[in-house]
Amino acid sequence: MSQEAPAPAPDRRRNRRGAFPRKGFRVFGLGLQDFIRYFFGGNASFAIIVLLLICYFLAEQAFRFFPAHRQGLKIYREAGQEFVDQIKSELAAHSRLGGDLNIAYLSEVNASSQREDNLVRALQAVQTAVEDRTGHLSERLEDARETVEDLRDDLEDAAADPAKTAELQAALAQAEGRADALAPQWHGEAEAALDDPDIWRLDANPVKLTDAERVEIRDAVLRSEPGLDDVELPFFDALRKTSADKKAAAREGYAEFKTHLDALRGAARPLQSLSGDLVDIAAENRQRLDKFETAPARRRALLEGAEATMDPEERARKLKMAEEVVMEAPDYDALARPFYDQVAEHGKLAAQVRAAVVTAYEALPKPDDPAIRTPPGREKLRAAAADYAHLMETLTRVEKTLPKWRHDKPVSRTRGVLMFFAGRDWVTNSSWHDFYGLLPLLTGSFLISVLALVVAVPFSVASAIYVNQLAGRREQNLIKPAIEFIQAIPSIVLGFFGILVLGSFLREWSQGQLHVSPHGFVGSLPVIREIFTGICGFLNWVAQYVPGFPMSERLTMLNAGLLLAFMTVPTIFTLAEDALNNVPHSFTEASFALGASKLQTILRVVVPSSLSGIVAAVLLGFGRIIGETMVVLLVAGNKIQIPDFRAGLGVFAQPAHSMTGIIAQELGEVDQGSIHWRALFLVGMVLFTISLVTNFIAQRILAKYHVKA
Amino acid sequence: MKKTTLILSAIVLLGAGARAEDKIVIKGSDTLGAKMVPQQAEAYKQAGNAVTFEIAAEGSSTAFTNLLAGTADIGMSSRDIKSSEKDEFTAKGMEIREWIAGYDMIGVIVNEKNTVKELTLEQVEKIFTGEITDWSEVGGAAGEISVYTRNTSSGTYKSFQEMAMNKRDYGANTQKMAGNEQIASEVGKNANGIGYVGLAYVKADGIVPVKVDGVELDPKNSKTYPIARTLFFYSIKGKLSAAAEKFLVWATSDPAGTEIVEKVGFIKP
Repeated sequence: MSQEAPAPAPDRRRNRRGAFPRKGFRVFGLGLQDFIRYFFGGNASFAIIVLLLICYFLAEQAFRFFPAHRQGLKIYREAGQEFVDQIKSELAAHSRLGGDLNIAYLSEVNASSQREDNLVRALQAVQTAVEDRTGHLSERLEDARETVEDLRDDLEDAAADPAKTAELQAALAQAEGRADALAPQWHGEAEAALDDPDIWRLDANPVKLTDAERVEIRDAVLRSEPGLDDVELPFFDALRKTSADKKAAAREGYAEFKTHLDALRGAARPLQSLSGDLVDIAAENRQRLDKFETAPARRRALLEGAEATMDPEERARKLKMAEEVVMEAPDYDALARPFYDQVAEHGKLAAQVRAAVVTAYEALPKPDDPAIRTPPGREKLRAAAADYAHLMETLTRVEKTLPKWRHDKPVSRTRGVLMFFAGRDWVTNSSWHDFYGLLPLLTGSFLISVLALVVAVPFSVASAIYVNQLAGRREQNLIKPAIEFIQAIPSIVLGFFGILVLGSFLREWSQGQLHVSPHGFVGSLPVIREIFTGICGFLNWVAQYVPGFPMSERLTMLNAGLLLAFMTVPTIFTLAEDALNNVPHSFTEASFALGASKLQTILRVVVPSSLSGIVAAVLLGFGRIIGETMVVLLVAGNKIQIPDFRAGLGVFAQPAHSMTGIIAQELGEVDQGSIHWRALFLVGMVLFTISLVTNFIAQRILAKYHVKA
Repeated sequence: MKKTTLILSAIVLLGAGARAEDKIVIKGSDTLGAKMVPQQAEAYKQAGNAVTFEIAAEGSSTAFTNLLAGTADIGMSSRDIKSSEKDEFTAKGMEIREWIAGYDMIGVIVNEKNTVKELTLEQVEKIFTGEITDWSEVGGAAGEISVYTRNTSSGTYKSFQEMAMNKRDYGANTQKMAGNEQIASEVGKNANGIGYVGLAYVKADGIVPVKVDGVELDPKNSKTYPIARTLFFYSIKGKLSAAAEKFLVWATSDPAGTEIVEKVGFIKP
């Protein structure tokens, strides 16, 4: 060891400034490097200031929603709309019960003639498909035939005028010639179309056609030439007749069902008419109250307008109008009187409804009744049982709350807040009352995000582990940029992909309709076509066991969730890979030294010690998903309703709306400063808070559980 | 370009200087006054007419009260005049003149594979408010109805609510689409779909408009088709200023004026 004195510690201050040579100009004692330093420092603080301003602006706009919302609820109560909505909730529950029972009834009746109806539908489907295929030609033929008809009519009218008759006859001959020439052409094309097996795919129609029926359909399609009216199709007319007969017979069998059903549905009529009357009164009250609410503003505007005009006449007019603005408060008690007067009447009518519904429902068949044969019928009867319970509950609840309703009971602050955060309805631009309930949007956003995470996490974490631990350099150089490239795809492009490709694929798959088109590229390659047909067959078979399938929508949470999963893979992958990278080499070396295999090292040492980083990566991925707008707006289906969780996992096959989507969709046209505008800001605030909290938690996890060497 | 603008503005200035600018006061319907008439007024001014407009859209009834009080030159209305209103004019010795400003007509569309080709207005209302949820309830093959509507910022959203749904709120099961195009494409692909679109979109692939109350969707049925209304201008005979009359003629018959009617989604007269 040398005895040399250690070199003097470098002056840290000088060192920091030493990046730029200390010469050149000086202004106020500040040199170039000082300016550069302050420039960067200034930029950083500018970013922070802007962020704080955004937070302040958001919070200020959003929190002013609550007083306005409370005021809105107060008017809603004073106008009597709250009272009427309770009656409406009874009627809605009643109508749902009646609807479900009716669908069950129809399902039973229609089942009797299902084969006939499906055959007729098959004919229509094939006809439409052929028409699509021969589109241009069939339009021309139809036009030609119409011209012939018109000319014949004209000819009859012009019988007295020989010159005109001759002229028309010539035109007629020409038109007939054209139609006659087009008809065989159309036949040729139609026959070619009918030879194509694709035409005979009947989508959701379950009917299996016999050869004889195919011939009948083919014949019927060819005979119903475009432009010909009243073509007789005896086979199908007979089918229609059989269908009608069978239905009539079935209706007789279910006559008792129908009687009780009608009794049940008709029971609410008096209550409906009461509700209708009260709706009109409440709507009028509402108008009066809204007018009073805005009167000061209107008056102020007129006075200001008068100030601004030069024309004395105009000014006098405006001042007069301002005078005329009704400023006096409406008589709240008088406005509410009709509702108090009807409480007893409502009690009587509701009791009638209850009695009639109970009697009718008891007499109706239950889901396990052997007389109910169709699965949809049973399903709807089960739904009806739930509806029935709901109706009874609603009737009991309203019976209790309605007499206690007071128009002047103040709306509590908590209620105003709760109606937003726990509200189940988001109804805007309504002619009745706007409701701002967050729940449907929140559940939509969360369900989509959860699905996206469940799909994305295994993929991204597994690929991160593979790339970081197992892949060779060349694989790394291929996989990493490829995954990171996903981030470069604009979300609007993914949205279009979601609507047109993924959505259509998912729907076809869910309905078990996947197939290889013989006209496509794949269809033209013999062996590959067989392979793809096999895959399609397998997927179609799998589809029967997927919850929520078949679905008729293509814009669903499933679709949005899958796309978002794809979008978020790079985020999670990159961050997780970083976390794996940060595991000190000494750990793996120690593990190998102890004789652990590669796999053991990865699973027991590397992954556990980077777990905090992986969890943080997942959380940041979640933050990315929940804030994504374009894809959910385009693809999630925009249905503002809390998804029906009774469907189990199938809930994801339903459409939903999201918090980001509602802002994008509605912010464009609302008045600045209106309550609707503030509601959207508050939704934004909720989103912001969610992102902030997830980020915060991610940082904490990283800081707390980070394993150091 | 610049030169033309200069010359144009010079002409406008000169024209304005020569005589006091005529002022046209238009009052009435919100349907017309929200977009169509202000845009027409703007285009009319840009076409070189030296007039100013005052437009107030507070509902069709105000068209008649203001005409009666003499505080408006032209009334806008999305319904035709009631006989009681007509009587008031007659009592004051005035005769009202009606101009057709355009038609508002909305088509209810279903998938072309759907066997339901006809609905009553009541059924339409019940479908869009969520009371009817299955096609079997209106005579089709069983299947849950997928209802597509415009989103709340669209004027058609509101018009449809007023004309077809008794002003009731849309059911929670409806899906809010961004535009006519999107509704047409979803219904065209979904055998259980139903939606509504402006007249210009009913020709899209895979969809057919249904008859409502037995009436086909066709501009010539604008009087009988239930989800349609005629949009009117009203004026008083003998009291209409020359400038206002010139504007009305332009707005109802000049191609430049009727083009705007179509642009805002109505049918031109």
